[in-house]
Amino acid sequence: MNIYDLIVKRIKEAQKADSDGPVTNVSTSAMLTAEITLISSVLVALIMLRLVNNVLMMVAVLVVLFTAVLAMPIMPQLKREMNDSLYAMTFYMVLALVIVITLFYWGNFNV
Amino acid sequence: MIMDTQLASLFTAGALIVIGIFASVFLDNLIKKVIGLAFIGDGANLFLIAMGYKPGGIVYIYLPGMARDWFAQNSAYPLPFAMVLTSIVIGASTMAVMLGIIMVLYKKHGSLRASKVLGE
Amino acid sequence: MNPLIALMIIVPIICALFLNLLHKKDRTIKAIAIVMAITLPLLPLLANYGLHYFGGYEPLYQNPALSKGLPSLITGTALNTFHPAITYSFQDAQKLFIFILGLVAFLAIIVSLFETRRPSGVYGFMMFMGVAAVSALILTDDIFNFYVFFEIAALATVGVVLVSQVKGNYETALKYMILGSIASPILLLGIALLLGVTGNVNITDIILSLKSGAVNPQNPVILMACGMIFFGWLYGSGLPPFHTIKSAIYSKALPHGAALLQAFSVFTFIALGIIILRIFSYLPLSQLVIIGVSLLAMIMGITMAILQTDLKRMIGFLAVGELGYIGLGLGLGTALGITAGLFQAVNEVVITAFLFIGFGTIYYQSGESDIRKLGGFMVKNPKVALLVLLSGFAMAGVPPLNAFQSKLMLIQASVQAGLPELGVIMILLSIVTFMTFMKAFHAVYMRPQPSDLEIKNDFIPKATILALSILLLVCLLLGLFPQMATNYLQGISTSLAGGVP
Repeated sequence: MNIYDLIVKRIKEAQKADSDGPVTNVSTSAMLTAEITLISSVLVALIMLRLVNNVLMMVAVLVVLFTAVLAMPIMPQLKREMNDSLYAMTFYMVLALVIVITLFYWGNFNV
Repeated sequence: MIMDTQLASLFTAGALIVIGIFASVFLDNLIKKVIGLAFIGDGANLFLIAMGYKPGGIVYIYLPGMARDWFAQNSAYPLPFAMVLTSIVIGASTMAVMLGIIMVLYKKHGSLRASKVLGE
Repeated sequence: MNPLIALMIIVPIICALFLNLLHKKDRTIKAIAIVMAITLPLLPLLANYGLHYFGGYEPLYQNPALSKGLPSLITGTALNTFHPAITYSFQDAQKLFIFILGLVAFLAIIVSLFETRRPSGVYGFMMFMGVAAVSALILTDDIFNFYVFFEIAALATVGVVLVSQVKGNYETALKYMILGSIASPILLLGIALLLGVTGNVNITDIILSLKSGAVNPQNPVILMACGMIFFGWLYGSGLPPFHTIKSAIYSKALPHGAALLQAFSVFTFIALGIIILRIFSYLPLSQLVIIGVSLLAMIMGITMAILQTDLKRMIGFLAVGELGYIGLGLGLGTALGITAGLFQAVNEVVITAFLFIGFGTIYYQSGESDIRKLGGFMVKNPKVALLVLLSGFAMAGVPPLNAFQSKLMLIQASVQAGLPELGVIMILLSIVTFMTFMKAFHAVYMRPQPSDLEIKNDFIPKATILALSILLLVCLLLGLFPQMATNYLQGISTSLAGGVP
């Protein structure tokens, strides 16, 4: 079994656990595309760390690559996390508020 | 006076906002959530008013017979008060719409619990 | 003084009030709404550039007649240059933005009048009120006035969703209001902090006091205010973490309503984005954070869009993802980048409205928006299918349509700014956007019709086809002659970039 089949199998398993409809080819391939898009764009974005430090960039890219491969079906979990429940939304909103304020308050002093 | 009036109002405003966020996030009853949201709005309004506070200041209405320079130096800053009026009106209308929606949802679901009405 | 500037806000408000009063008088509503909707795109074209002062007068130094006889306490200090009125500034960029907003509003209102069985005065009220509020957001130079219209726009958004009668609209509207009632007081707090430090709410005056050294720009209170206003920006435009609720709001509105709502969020996004750049661009972190949030919005929005099975929800997520492109342009901070970002904003408003109204025909015909239950529409309406396909091409950035030009400019700007990675991500996500669109297009148009699909309306109103054709025309025009838009944007982007080419 090659790696593609392995990933597809794991995505199908993850989808079956919580999906509201039948698992179709379209939905699996959509999930796979989303997965690849997510990982690749995050990796490309991480390359921008080179402006800070080259070594840091390499370490970050490698670490994220390995964690992503190990935790492979990320997208089903992400989708479950980004649901429409008010609790999740308020939680992430308050989290974002804290991050933004902290970033602006301390970040600008220390950049 | 134990504490400066302005400082006390600012602290109260901060406390109102924190309590409001806490209530609107953690309480399950929709009406209580809305009360929490009202707290946040009130906190922001109190904060605005406190910005315009001036110790020993006078009301910013120019009466005949006042010396112009004396008035300019002693009157409170009028802008925040004008803004708070607008802000209160907006807050009230938002609240009215929210309570209206809650009424409709109560008729539909027969419950005020957010976990039941809003699903999940 | 230019009365037409004030009319851009006043006409839609008056029209909204009339429509609400005339509710249930169908013919009158239709006539008034059509006539007034036509004026929306026309007003900005007719108006001259200039400033308008609401409830006050111009700065004293501009009018010696006013300042005669005033004590030197006023004329000798900074008070002489401050703006005592609520100032509305109408320049070339605002002209373009309000024209596009008016055009989309006009088309959405026309489509709504012909697609709903009975024209609803309340629905018209909400749409016109939202247009008035967002026009004011674009025009205003007063940050508290901005907050007021920001709230009115949010209420109008909720109103559009409440009127739609889509299943679950009340629940989603309530969630949006709860989140909004936490986020917008935070924005107000940010404004209050700025007022406390600078003593002013006029943006030009705030910048003056920051630049002239009257206020220490590194004051921690200002940093706090920046964070809070930034948070309000996230909420107003639906960037993460608000992308889920924003796309849910789009999906619970009727398609023409959603076409208008996304225009509201895009214009709120650029209006507040421009304010943030104007006031806080001296902070090193502000542009970095804008880029970071935009990247997050792009990645989250577009990857979530692929997974959706609801047509409107999918376009909603795509709309959020496309916001990221605009944000990247603004965050680059160069004149080219900002021009490209604002141009992309204009294009996105047109294209997303195109998509919503185009796929809205499916909802109009079948009352269904779940992709899994749809199919076979190519046979019924090949013309509309072609138009929808072109809208998808436009969104993905296929030449000669408009998003191609703006995305190309964005990529050039990111390479010039020394961040080619952003260009790579933009290309990657454009491809995925196109794939998402094709997935939906295939499911809806090319698959055979499922046997249990009921068709409620066989014919699509001519007004809808007309609206789609006009949007396609705008896409083509802006794609072939991008200077038509970018010429209007050059001035503002040069001043925002502060001399960086």
